[in-house]
Amino acid sequence: MSPVADTNILVFACRWCGLIGADGAGRRRTELPASFRVIPVECAGYVEPDAVIRAFASGAAGVAVLGCHVGGCRFNDANHPALKRLELLRTLLDTTGIGGDRLLLGFGTAHEHHQWADTIRDFHRHVEGLPSMESWMTSVAGDR
Amino acid sequence: MKKIGVFLCNCFGEIGRTVDLESIRKRLASDPSVGFVALRESLCMPGDAAEVRATLRERGVGRVLLGACSPYGRMETVRLGLAKEGVDMRKVRGADLREGCAWIHGKNPAGATRKAANQLDMELARLQNGQDSMDIDIRVRSEALVIGAGPAGLAAACGLAGMGIPVHLVDRGSAPGGLLNVVTKVYPTEVSGPAKIKSLVEMTGSSPLIRFYGKTKVASVKGYAGDFKVALAGPEGNTSLRAGAVVLATGARLLFPRGLYGYGKMKNVITQMEMERQFAAGNVACGNAVFIQCVGARCAERPYCSTICCPLSLKNAMRILDEAPGSTVTILHRDIMTPGSTLEAYYRKALHRGVRFVRFDAQRPPEIRGNGLVSGVEVFDVLSGVTRSIEADLLVLSTPLVADPESAALARMLEIPVDRHGFIAEVYPVHPVETRNDGVFICGTARWPASSDQAIAQGEAAAVKAASFLGKETVPALTMSRVPGTKLGHAEANAEACTGCGNCVAVCPYRACKLQRVGQRSVSRVIKVRCKACGSCMSVCPNGAMQIPEQNYRVTGAMIRRAFREVR
Repeated sequence: MSPVADTNILVFACRWCGLIGADGAGRRRTELPASFRVIPVECAGYVEPDAVIRAFASGAAGVAVLGCHVGGCRFNDANHPALKRLELLRTLLDTTGIGGDRLLLGFGTAHEHHQWADTIRDFHRHVEGLPSMESWMTSVAGDR
Repeated sequence: MKKIGVFLCNCFGEIGRTVDLESIRKRLASDPSVGFVALRESLCMPGDAAEVRATLRERGVGRVLLGACSPYGRMETVRLGLAKEGVDMRKVRGADLREGCAWIHGKNPAGATRKAANQLDMELARLQNGQDSMDIDIRVRSEALVIGAGPAGLAAACGLAGMGIPVHLVDRGSAPGGLLNVVTKVYPTEVSGPAKIKSLVEMTGSSPLIRFYGKTKVASVKGYAGDFKVALAGPEGNTSLRAGAVVLATGARLLFPRGLYGYGKMKNVITQMEMERQFAAGNVACGNAVFIQCVGARCAERPYCSTICCPLSLKNAMRILDEAPGSTVTILHRDIMTPGSTLEAYYRKALHRGVRFVRFDAQRPPEIRGNGLVSGVEVFDVLSGVTRSIEADLLVLSTPLVADPESAALARMLEIPVDRHGFIAEVYPVHPVETRNDGVFICGTARWPASSDQAIAQGEAAAVKAASFLGKETVPALTMSRVPGTKLGHAEANAEACTGCGNCVAVCPYRACKLQRVGQRSVSRVIKVRCKACGSCMSVCPNGAMQIPEQNYRVTGAMIRRAFREVR
């Protein structure tokens, strides 16, 4: 079992907007909390709800899916249905006790590095303020 | 399986200053799939690529993990260098340790080191579990189908023929020319419509590469980029042909202003197109003419500006003054739209020529007077704040271009979307003549109202875009991306696991997934040419039957598991 640090954040960043925003923040040496890990994906549409659940089971306390603005997707608006799917997942997260507010859906364009940095900082602060994931992890372990 | 070679770049201290590369090296070296871990000062300097290549040969590793900078930074140089040295770039993955780690966690070296170790682990998972998409070459048939022979279609056909590509040019009219055939003077140069496109029409007639199909409609189009199967319905019955690319130049039509400003009830209320016909017939009545702009345009139903009506009205107004001396022309407008230096000069010319302009408010449109015939117009002049009464012997309505219903039907056949007005949508503003369906290009007023000059320029652009594809004998499906060299792979459907639910068909933004009947059941099949590897089908497949080999569920699963693994 992976240790649950209470601010572990897994970021799915689309490589046409989110990841470029991350690159921009990096070039400007914007100091960010070191608690997040990034999985580059082609498009936010790639992120299956199952992957988000698995992330929580693998020690994430928050999951962020950062894609392009709706209407600015490189893949013919593939991010729009993704947004709807993940909004539905939020309900499931509430039902399972994880909490829908541990899932962040962010949309930005490639040059919005400041927005990227703010998103990460704010989400980090938000997840920090939530109750520990430990209890939920043990209950899941008990179910197994 | 060949082992993985890892190169960690210190970036002359930029990474090593924050991230403890030595501990990461030790950690990675203990992984059984890793052959060696090399620490380097740099990877992007001259000579580095050759050294890396030499090390790879010497150690006999098959896959490479680079711990260096962001893919948008110097990593591009590194990749280009390695590719030049003959390294198979599909077996090379990079983890971002500089922009994504050292530079943003400079005040937290321990955290940065943990993160770097995790991110390297995650990319390692990609190398360990990822597979390669199948290499598929599309055979390209070097022939084009151009639908519509207006200015845009003619420019596209002649452009393609000029580059040596055979063209099938189809039009529902008997002769090429489109709307320009009606126009006896085209703004702003005031040559006649047919004269403007004379050279294009002549080339259509004389070029052995262009075959013109008059009075013909496209009955069906099937197939994909490189090989479309087309059925035409013409006067001599049905023709079938094959083309590597399709250029859609079906144009638009002008709105018929039925019921607006007495049109249809009063004889002296006509449209600008009817005005053109009067000019062509040579009977221009002398008297007071009043033009009304934006009739049925820039309203709730059609909020767009139709581009051509303002310059067209300026031209017709000046022409009335020229051909029927003693006449007056008043243009009632909401805004005069004359972008660019030529058209703005044209507007000034009309002002000097004596054309009168009255600006009205959309909330208070002009009102017409008269029984049976219009005798005058009452209009509230917003600039001077008074209501003006203008005598009128002729009322001319400027109506916008609206989408042709036939283009929408063609768009459906070609699986490309139309906007809410029925115009064909381009794939993205930065790809103005390309559509969602590769191999299908659009130009002219079918995509948006445009002047004839703009339509010709778009036609030429579409020709060049089509030719860059048609000029090759075969095109690898893996390069079928708007930005060359960026396609990750293509999705593959596992027929065994597929239950034929159709989720992927519904979600695919490129219409690349199709259900196919196999025996008793339906299974999904991916058209590799269309697939752009966005992964939407993967995320909605309930059975994991859809996979992009490069980033399949094993890769994602392993990356997620390793994201927060403890680092000792």
